[in-house]
Amino acid sequence: MIKIISLTTLSLFILRDVYAAEAGMPQLDPTYWASQVFWLTLIFSAIYFLIAKIFVPKIKGNIDARESQIRKDINEANSLKEEADKKLKEYNKIIDEAKLEAKKLISEGRKKINEDIQSKKDQIEKDIQKETLSATKEIEKFKINSLKKINIISEEIVSDIIKDIFKEDLNKSSIKATVSEVMKERRN
Amino acid sequence: MATNPMHQFNVYKIGPEIKINGIDLSFTNASLFMLISGIFISLFLLLGTKDRKIVPGKFQLISEMLYNFISKMISDTAGKKAKPYFSFIFSLFIFVLFCNMVGMLPYSFTVTSHIIVTLAFAMFIFIGVTILGFVIHGFKYLKIFVPSGVPMVLLPIIMIIEIISYLSRPVSLSVRLFANMMAGHTMLKVFGGFVISLGLVAGWLPLTFSVALTGLEILVAFLQAYVFAILTCIYLNDALNLHH
Repeated sequence: MIKIISLTTLSLFILRDVYAAEAGMPQLDPTYWASQVFWLTLIFSAIYFLIAKIFVPKIKGNIDARESQIRKDINEANSLKEEADKKLKEYNKIIDEAKLEAKKLISEGRKKINEDIQSKKDQIEKDIQKETLSATKEIEKFKINSLKKINIISEEIVSDIIKDIFKEDLNKSSIKATVSEVMKERRN
Repeated sequence: MATNPMHQFNVYKIGPEIKINGIDLSFTNASLFMLISGIFISLFLLLGTKDRKIVPGKFQLISEMLYNFISKMISDTAGKKAKPYFSFIFSLFIFVLFCNMVGMLPYSFTVTSHIIVTLAFAMFIFIGVTILGFVIHGFKYLKIFVPSGVPMVLLPIIMIIEIISYLSRPVSLSVRLFANMMAGHTMLKVFGGFVISLGLVAGWLPLTFSVALTGLEILVAFLQAYVFAILTCIYLNDALNLHH
């Protein structure tokens, strides 16, 4: 309701004012038309020449300079990136080569060590065999010697016992033969 | 009468009377505000082009945005051939815009709210574009009145309509800007008058309207400058490219 009232009063006011102004809408009064066109031409031409000769070239220059700068920077960044990529590739290549070489070195070293170990082992085995052989020989010799000694001692004991029992000496050669016979029997 | 909303459009002379061959060319308040707008434009562009930085400051940024805005507008509507007229469109847009904006200041005068000013612009553009069309295309420019793909029966009527619409271009161009500015400022004045006449009791209502209208008028000021410039571009496009 208030809105309607205010709107009506408003339109009434406008109508009244428009009627009041109708008598002299200043825009339609030709007194200063020539003056307005004259000054407009003057001032607008001045502005046009200022803009066309000074400001637009300056602004355009600024924008172009910025664009070329940006393009230059982008190109530079791209070339730097390419260089970095190249360097990275080179670096990777070097690393790969180094890895390969290291592997080679390791395998070579391992082979050498293995060979070394093998040869040392063989040497030791040979030595052991040799030692064993000589020891066996010695034992054999020992055995024979000891048998001989046992024979002699047995013969002496036998002759001593017979002497003690029978009070007489027995032929030495027969004792020997008997002992060796007994020994042979025992051994078998 | 101070409350007369049309009072603000009065033109009166400032300083001595200048008469050449009986024609009154006195310096008026309208001339003063044209001059003020011109000075504002020069100051703004001077500030915008003073520092030539890669990373722009405020004024440089605004002037460059304006440049790009108008450059895009011209290339969108009139194509590459319109490049030589860039400075003119730029001046036209910025002058109308600044006149409209200076008119928004309280107690100032709106240069573009006078039909004679906008008509002068419109006639200059109309005559210029027509001459340009004839210079570029010769008599073929008359083809603009003969749209392609129209049946022969309708052609005479269409041609008459086209001629009328072509001839009414300066009128529509000038009246559009003038009427918009005048109507807006009259409305502002009327609402301003209401604030006083309704007083403290109900005066806040028209005051609110006034504030809202001021915002609207600033929008209209920009929009009308844009419309004026873009229509000029469209007319220029007709003269330059002639494809109807």
